[in-house]
Amino acid sequence: MDAYLIAIAIVSGIYLLLALGLNLQFGLTGLINFGHVGFFCVGAYTSAILSTNGVPVAWSLLAAALVGMLAAWPLGVISIRLREDYFAIASLGFSEIVRLVATSEGWLTNGVQGIAGIPRIFSGVTGQSQAIAMLAIVTVFCVLAILAMRRIVRSPFGRMIEAIRDNEEAVKSLGKDPAGFKMQVLLLGSMLAGLSGALYAHYIGYISPDQFIPFITFQIWMAIIMGGVGRISGTVAGVIILMVFLEGSRFLRDIAPFIPEVAMASIRLGAIGLALMLFTIYRPQGLMGDYTKR
Amino acid sequence: MTGFAELLLSGVMSGLIIGLAGLAVTLVFGIARFSNAATGDTMTLGAYGALLGTTLTGSLIFGGLVGLLAGALAAVLSYVLVFRQLANRSPISSLLASIGLAFFVRAGLGLAFGHNQSVFQLDIVRPIRFLDLRIQPNDLKFAAIALVTLVIVFIILHMTPIGRRMRAVADNPLLARVSGIAPRPVMFTLWAMAGAVSAIAGIILGMKTVVSPEMGWDMLLPAFAAAVLGGIGHPVGAIVGGLVIGVAQELATPFVGFTYKIAVSFIVLLLVLLVRPRGMFGRVEGVR
Repeated sequence: MDAYLIAIAIVSGIYLLLALGLNLQFGLTGLINFGHVGFFCVGAYTSAILSTNGVPVAWSLLAAALVGMLAAWPLGVISIRLREDYFAIASLGFSEIVRLVATSEGWLTNGVQGIAGIPRIFSGVTGQSQAIAMLAIVTVFCVLAILAMRRIVRSPFGRMIEAIRDNEEAVKSLGKDPAGFKMQVLLLGSMLAGLSGALYAHYIGYISPDQFIPFITFQIWMAIIMGGVGRISGTVAGVIILMVFLEGSRFLRDIAPFIPEVAMASIRLGAIGLALMLFTIYRPQGLMGDYTKR
Repeated sequence: MTGFAELLLSGVMSGLIIGLAGLAVTLVFGIARFSNAATGDTMTLGAYGALLGTTLTGSLIFGGLVGLLAGALAAVLSYVLVFRQLANRSPISSLLASIGLAFFVRAGLGLAFGHNQSVFQLDIVRPIRFLDLRIQPNDLKFAAIALVTLVIVFIILHMTPIGRRMRAVADNPLLARVSGIAPRPVMFTLWAMAGAVSAIAGIILGMKTVVSPEMGWDMLLPAFAAAVLGGIGHPVGAIVGGLVIGVAQELATPFVGFTYKIAVSFIVLLLVLLVRPRGMFGRVEGVR
């Protein structure tokens, strides 16, 4: 049971890093990124490829964050100035292309078979203490990311990006350049996603392209919308709700074993879809959001 | 040479399907003013509806009609239950809800029909030979259906009173409103049309390939690319855009390989957005 709770906590931390990045992009800046899983994928593959080729894990984590960030750069250059829904579609397309590359470029990514045997972060220790060490690392990254977010929200940079979210035209008329700020936000969020992907790869130990489907992106979307868009506490709450849901659906199978796993996957997909619809219609500000605004 | 011509031909066929899907996207974008990500899964719904109708009645034509009705009905229902509630909010809310709807529909179809691929039982017909070119008679029928669909959409938009109202709303919703155009009939017609067109695209795709719950989602990117390339809100443009993308995909296959087919539509999409955001036929608008 302890092992199970630790495992959930680690996965929650990985999701939280993803969600914090998306919250910075969408919640604070209003950037509609539908391709978040693409940077998660880039980070996971970068770290997996480097570390299976003998690069120490500490360096491969750093490289994953950097490459995740760099991967966002061309997307940003091309599409950051587009209207918001065009950017959404362009980023969704980007994440699908990342997955295609991971599937087709077998020499680099081992194609659909995926990369197995990715080294653990603390290869010295084993068993329970290994998991606890992993949890500690993930927690450290999460705390650092949350502190950084709080810092950003209170800084002039934070006020600027929130102003862009609330009224981009007004920001422009004051002589500021929203595209530049959006670009920085896109890169920062993607760096978090890349780091999160690397932690995921080292924790799970095996990655393949079908783990990086757009469904992951929208799980994160659902988490930040449920929790409360633009609030750090909301992001944390949303990720917890998401994990309870994902794990709860696993327990549902213990109670009702007659439901096959494929059907369970469909139920998860449908429930996330339904939640996305209901929350955008009835509670767009989320559970922890600003109750005075709609 | 024949190889090239055959690639061209199969490009035209997939282009017609992409074009129909793009037509559905562009209709909704022009009038309801958001990108409908549930278009792909409405296609899947139409294909499953047709499959069910065909097995129940044994007739492909009747099955097709069932699929068409299912698509139209689902789209109208999605308007009544979801998109009407979001009409006064930012288009992003509707886009997000449409993704939720897409997942919901796909999950429902997966639960109802399972994840195995199904096929339509089509008669195998000897291909027609024309100047060394093999043409499947079924392809001709599909192309005819696509063209008839386009013509019907065109007639509804340009030769009926409701079509004139739809174009008025597309042009300027507020002006249409103060001129006494009731939004409800316009929106119902729009969604029924968009649903039916997506269903037709899905049925043809399902008949040409296989039917699976994931088939529609994969068409989403090409459909958006076709709509943007043709100029958003421009029905003929969407079909032409679809044809360009379909042909480009097929012609690129020998060079980039089969798996990168979808990447072609992504690149077309980005290029159009960069170079000419209003597309081939679009009007100049104050948008980026």
